[in-house]
Amino acid sequence: MMHCTMDDLLALRAGEASVWARRHVEDCTACRAELDGVYQRVAQLKALPALRPPRDRWSIVRDAARVERAHRRRTWSVWSLAAAAALAGVLLVPRFGANGTLHAELSRAKDQSATLEDQLQDYDVDGRVVTGRTAARVAELEDQIAVIDGDLARWGAIKPQTQDAELVKLWQQRVDLMRRLVNVRVSSARYVGL
Amino acid sequence: MTVALAVPDVLVARAQAGDEAALEALYRAFETPVYNLARRMLRNAEDAEDVLQETFLEVVKSIRDYRGEGYLWGWIRRIAATKALMRIRRDQIRATEPLDEEHGKTGMHVAANLDLERAFDHLTDTSRAVVWLHDVEGYTHEEIGELMGRSVSFSKSQLARAHARLRGLLGEGEGAQA
Repeated sequence: MMHCTMDDLLALRAGEASVWARRHVEDCTACRAELDGVYQRVAQLKALPALRPPRDRWSIVRDAARVERAHRRRTWSVWSLAAAAALAGVLLVPRFGANGTLHAELSRAKDQSATLEDQLQDYDVDGRVVTGRTAARVAELEDQIAVIDGDLARWGAIKPQTQDAELVKLWQQRVDLMRRLVNVRVSSARYVGL
Repeated sequence: MTVALAVPDVLVARAQAGDEAALEALYRAFETPVYNLARRMLRNAEDAEDVLQETFLEVVKSIRDYRGEGYLWGWIRRIAATKALMRIRRDQIRATEPLDEEHGKTGMHVAANLDLERAFDHLTDTSRAVVWLHDVEGYTHEEIGELMGRSVSFSKSQLARAHARLRGLLGEGEGAQA
């Protein structure tokens, strides 16, 4: 008499068995016992005790996390420098008569951005414990600023000799986000009494 | 083992912002399941420790990319399984052992009443990985095939061979299996 193979038994367990195997296992006590054995082995495997790590490796991971965080900050600074370079490229260009207003707005946005960067340094301390909501808000704002810095850097690379309303708008958006980031940091510092 | 799947969103958000205390909380929550997964897939305890470390180094590096699709444990577990499988492949290349060759086939006269845990240790590295990922962690053959860079049928055949071997090692009845 032909019996189920292990493939058949596993297919039965997965509900993917052939018609023949499904019918056969109903009539064959030996194959039913084999199928029960498969179920029991799997149940026993699942019931094996959890093996715990013999040594604590958190300190290694933590140190790597610190390096990663420092690297991210450096990257963020590079983007800021790239954005500043893009702006400098624009400002070095002689003023275009009718664009005098745009130039003034760009200069103002740049000054505001630099001031806010300085303020941020006073409150942005590595490793400071913040609430989850604050941390999420900071991460969100930093991401948005990084996107704008990327746009500004690309702008500087593609159109270094131009200044128009779109560029001014990008810088003003950056100032707005920086201001909100500083506000979050100031509020957080007050919250923890620093 | 059962893993508590739910991690507060706020903890994940803090970890994504680089909060060290939150990262440590995630490490403490998942160090045992990650180590257990690696240890069951790998033969060597030190290799499993290395996988634990490599997994969390990856978690720290990539946690900002986790967008909350599915449980965090599923995301971490996939990283751990991938790291463990990479180690298996590396060891197989070093040993020039084919993926589907039975480990210790020669001279294998294991006592009939060998318990399951010891029998499990006698499977090949690949078979152990497939059995653990499929039967315990609940991965599908499609997912295992993708993780291993192999086909679905490879995963299925490895599982069938592993169960047949476990059955033999455990000295289960002569019954239907020839």
